[in-house]
Amino acid sequence: MLKNIVSLLLIFSFCNFTDAQTTSAALKEETNIYERVYDAPLQVVGQQSATFDELYAQRPVILALIFTRCTGICNPFLVKLKETLQFKDGDNSFRVLVLSFDPRDNMNDMHRLAQNLGLDGNEQWAFAITENISELTQSVSFDPVWDSARQQFDHDALLVGINKEGYITKKLIGLRERGDLDLLIGSINNVFVPTYRLPNQNMLFSCFNYDPVTGKNKPGLGLIFLALPAVLTASLLISISLLVRRSRRRKVHLN
Amino acid sequence: MQQSSILLLFFFLMGIALIVFTYIYLSSKKADQGMSNPLKKRFWFFLILTIIMGIFASVTIPKSPYFAFADKTPAKVIHVAAIQFAFFLSEKAIDREKPSGQQIELPVNEVIEFRVTSFDVNHGFAIYDESNRLITQTQAMPGYVNRLRYKFEEPGKYNVLCLEYCGVAHQLMRTSFVVK
Amino acid sequence: MESKKLKKITAVWIIVVLTLFVISIVLGILMRLNQGGVLHHAPITFYSNMTIHGITMIGIWFVAGMAGINYLMERYVKTSYSANLIALILTVIGVLMLWAVTLIGKFHTAWTFLYPLPLRVMWAQWATPVFLVAMSILTTGWLIWGISMMTQVLKKYSIPQAFAWQHFKKDPAVKTPPFILISMITLVGVVTCLLVAVVLMALYFAEYFSKGSFVNDALLMKNLTYFFGHTIANEMLYLGLAVIYELFSEVGEKPKWKTTWYVALAWNFTLIFILTAFLHHLYMDFVQPEGFQIVGQIASYMASLPAAAVTVFSVWVAVYRIKIKWTLTNLLFFIGVAGWVIGGFGAVIDATISNNIVLHNTQWVPAHFHTYNILGNVLFSLGFFYWFSIQFTDKVVSEKFSKLILSLLIIGGAGFLLAFYIGGADSIPRRFSNYPAEFTTAKPLANIGAAFATIYLIPILILFYNISKRCLKILFPSS
Repeated sequence: MLKNIVSLLLIFSFCNFTDAQTTSAALKEETNIYERVYDAPLQVVGQQSATFDELYAQRPVILALIFTRCTGICNPFLVKLKETLQFKDGDNSFRVLVLSFDPRDNMNDMHRLAQNLGLDGNEQWAFAITENISELTQSVSFDPVWDSARQQFDHDALLVGINKEGYITKKLIGLRERGDLDLLIGSINNVFVPTYRLPNQNMLFSCFNYDPVTGKNKPGLGLIFLALPAVLTASLLISISLLVRRSRRRKVHLN
Repeated sequence: MQQSSILLLFFFLMGIALIVFTYIYLSSKKADQGMSNPLKKRFWFFLILTIIMGIFASVTIPKSPYFAFADKTPAKVIHVAAIQFAFFLSEKAIDREKPSGQQIELPVNEVIEFRVTSFDVNHGFAIYDESNRLITQTQAMPGYVNRLRYKFEEPGKYNVLCLEYCGVAHQLMRTSFVVK
Repeated sequence: MESKKLKKITAVWIIVVLTLFVISIVLGILMRLNQGGVLHHAPITFYSNMTIHGITMIGIWFVAGMAGINYLMERYVKTSYSANLIALILTVIGVLMLWAVTLIGKFHTAWTFLYPLPLRVMWAQWATPVFLVAMSILTTGWLIWGISMMTQVLKKYSIPQAFAWQHFKKDPAVKTPPFILISMITLVGVVTCLLVAVVLMALYFAEYFSKGSFVNDALLMKNLTYFFGHTIANEMLYLGLAVIYELFSEVGEKPKWKTTWYVALAWNFTLIFILTAFLHHLYMDFVQPEGFQIVGQIASYMASLPAAAVTVFSVWVAVYRIKIKWTLTNLLFFIGVAGWVIGGFGAVIDATISNNIVLHNTQWVPAHFHTYNILGNVLFSLGFFYWFSIQFTDKVVSEKFSKLILSLLIIGGAGFLLAFYIGGADSIPRRFSNYPAEFTTAKPLANIGAAFATIYLIPILILFYNISKRCLKILFPSS
């Protein structure tokens, strides 16, 4: 009987699973918060050279660190990012800066990357390289490791949120859904949320899920458990009253 | 100091209640005429009480701590992880598998953000100043991170106690940091 | 009319409650003495004592209130003896199990058993499942009792009548006695919070038996725990008030209180506030949406308005310049209402979010809820117990003796409580078995608290002896 109840509960709860994440990814996301990103000189495709602070002072930045000779995560990572952000077309509360951490990458490589992604000339996306890449990657604790056997860099798929003052407000590691991106965009626009949930594989029922788009909490399945007893009591009251209606009528009649 | 005002307010209200109840009790030993116009008096009593409560609510609700310093950029973020029965304080994120902390020094007159969580049961993260007065707190709930922002205006050593009962060594759970 | 069986079972309830009350007070005194450094218990002993002290106190004063309204309800509707008996048996079984779990098994989650503490087994392995089963047994017995009484009321009064809605019109044909209105409102709250306990237990059992594959959300569990815990503690006060509305005038030999439109309005609104005020327990959980926090403060504030403007004012109207026949019963009621009001001040202050940040989990918390109880709700029930016991036996407590009892209750209670209030203002944490050295006032306040609690215990022992003797005569009339 108990197992049946548990199974029923499990069936109703599938919608509340959060992304399963490794502990280490969550840990790395919590470094450098409210520290300043290194103000590197940038060579931006299709634009004049600028320093990083000139860029983020204009609009808060989502920094994506990739390299063009990547045969691994970089391309799917950028494609996913583009897809997820497509609903934010025309939204000028952020700009994505795709920056290469590979010293071999030059402006032509970056231009080709932009074209391949269909983002060449897109106002929300900037593609760039910098001479001071090691200082910059150090300031965001990004640590690519060269694998000489595969001739590839081993690295995290990292997004760094940087607000208009150059402070790192949030980091995301891995391929992320829209909700997380919205949280990132909120954080670089200095929207303060007094709490956030840690990733947990097995947690089923929660009261609320914060929706960064509206800045409000959306009711979760767990809220039903809070409301259920009052609803049940009301139903009980009405049912009992209906069931004993006859004996009530009889009493009135007798009186 | 907030706690002194609270205690004074309480004693004041308690005093009024004691006087009123005693007066009413003593009046019952006298003439047998009861209260004149009780409905009218009840209405005024209700109205005055509602106005007082309304004033208190409208003054105090905006002072709620949830969005304190929300529009400021903190000078430092301190990660706090509570376990049975210790606190880890660190400027870096705390690894659940290998938790470790460090001696924390905070700048005075700057906004500090504490990111508080628990790795096991509910704990409390309560900051006491040098005169052992509780100045701010938040809960440490497993699975969640609470962000507490505070500006320390006085340099000195601040103690942290666990204020949410968490088991047999709850009273021993403490840490401290320095504000310079 | 009250049957013999109902008289006897009520007598049993009274004896059980008073016995457990005396034992729990002693446990409480031992706790304060430990905190004062006079005793040196191991922390696990302190915390196990603390757990069973809390559970027992809430449990006994809840059932005392239920037994009270059950007994008086018989004046209006026929109540079910079986439901009463089932509740008694299951309560005794549940309480005994809980005593075993804490005193033998060393289960020490505190009475609030906040998730996930019960599942972090730092005590005998059997204690956690037995605890969950014991709570389920209590919940079952009390649900049967509550639903049964609701049913009996509904057999005579329709829902609108039970909630006295007809009193919003002038000269209603059917008049709802205040006792029925308040009992109904309170029973709705009681049944609701017991159903919350059912949900809570189901989630606990699910996680306990899932062996790690199912984990509860700590925030949801905390909301459920306080929805149950706060509400049941609040409802036990209102059960006591139902008794007062019925008996206060009668004992003073004055005309019975009637339901008016504002009595009906106040109590109907009270139901809404009672069911939402529990949110004030989560102010320091920043994870809770801000809307919920504000609802918590507003509901907590608003709950005091009908209480003050209707119940308290009605008591004043019933006493002011009216030559009442004062006996121990209505004096206990009257002082209890004063205690309730003072406890309410402490509560509303703490229910203000901007105060809560420096009061939460300090001794201000036990200060206000002990006020509500030892000088509030307990006196309501003691008033009923005493009144009941003198219905069928003679030799009432003399006036001089009554004065002594009441003085000791007030002095003992006040001293004990003031130590807590001052402790709270001194930021002394609650639920500490021993205090850090830097809290220099903590130990002296604890010892002062223990001393005054002992003074409070004296009249309780007198009443225990006096009332239990009479109740035993009711149970065994021949001897």
